[in-house]
Amino acid sequence: MANTSAAEQAAKERALAHLKHYFVSSDQQFDAAKMGMWLFLVTEVLLFSGMFVAYAVYRVWYPEVFAVASTELNPWLGGLNTVVLLGSSLTVALAIHAAQTDKRRALVVNLFVTVLLAAAFMVVKYFEYTHKFHLGIFPGEYFAYEEMGQRIVPIFFSIYYVMTGIHGVHVLVGMGVLTWLALRAMRGHFHSGYYTPVELAGLYWHLVDIIWIFLFPLLYLI
Amino acid sequence: MKGHHITSRTTLLKVFVALVALTALTALTAQIDIGVFNIPLALAIAGSKALLVVLFFMALKYDKPVNALFFALGVLFVVVFLTFTLFDTAFRGDLGNVGKETIHSTEEGAEE
Repeated sequence: MANTSAAEQAAKERALAHLKHYFVSSDQQFDAAKMGMWLFLVTEVLLFSGMFVAYAVYRVWYPEVFAVASTELNPWLGGLNTVVLLGSSLTVALAIHAAQTDKRRALVVNLFVTVLLAAAFMVVKYFEYTHKFHLGIFPGEYFAYEEMGQRIVPIFFSIYYVMTGIHGVHVLVGMGVLTWLALRAMRGHFHSGYYTPVELAGLYWHLVDIIWIFLFPLLYLI
Repeated sequence: MKGHHITSRTTLLKVFVALVALTALTALTAQIDIGVFNIPLALAIAGSKALLVVLFFMALKYDKPVNALFFALGVLFVVVFLTFTLFDTAFRGDLGNVGKETIHSTEEGAEE
């Protein structure tokens, strides 16, 4: 009798091992962390908004140049990457569903599939970048693509490289975080009572997806 | 945890299908030239996709309202940033439309 209650006590302590002493409850800790994450996401939105404004200013000034320069981008590859990222958003949402319903295996699998899809996105990006480098389409003053000689064309590609580049850095960071979480999930760190890191990484990943949702039509489909 | 909204897998799948369909739609509509409406249409489709992701994948629909407030404020300031910058940059060339004579005659009128 004493043994079972001791075991129950240990199980209870394990379930609350994540709870910091300065929070009243697990729910309060979760809500506080999530609010902090949303604030961080707002700063991320504002970071990207600077680039979107630069894009808008130059597109309004030189619409014809943007239309011509964007034909150099392959909309099929951009579309493929859009679907890949949307799929990775789905798997991250499914991972959170698995965590909420205590399905450890589904959680681990969905997190790893998300990382694989992110890697696929980066591979496509790698081929797009190297193809442009091959043509001499480099950012800024290193632009050396003879066939597009207009003065403003390099600015379009500078904007393209900065926007997709910083977005790509976010994808790489997300891959690192999601891999770390998948490894922790394998060791059973997350369950329906505590999955805050998975939830927060999921929010971050969806935001990276949203940025791409806007980049795809604005850069590839002019 | 108790009280956390769990979005069903069917809902998540439906949202994903809708997102892929909207991606196809934006690729298709980009092939048609509808003049000044090209950009608003592309942005409307992208905005709908972003809204689907925010409401269902990020579960803001079921979340504490304070998080929605933060996000809405962020979006509001992006809109302010974008429109007020364009108020300047998009209309700079228009100053050239002011006829020199007009200014000249006004100045002369002021001197008299």
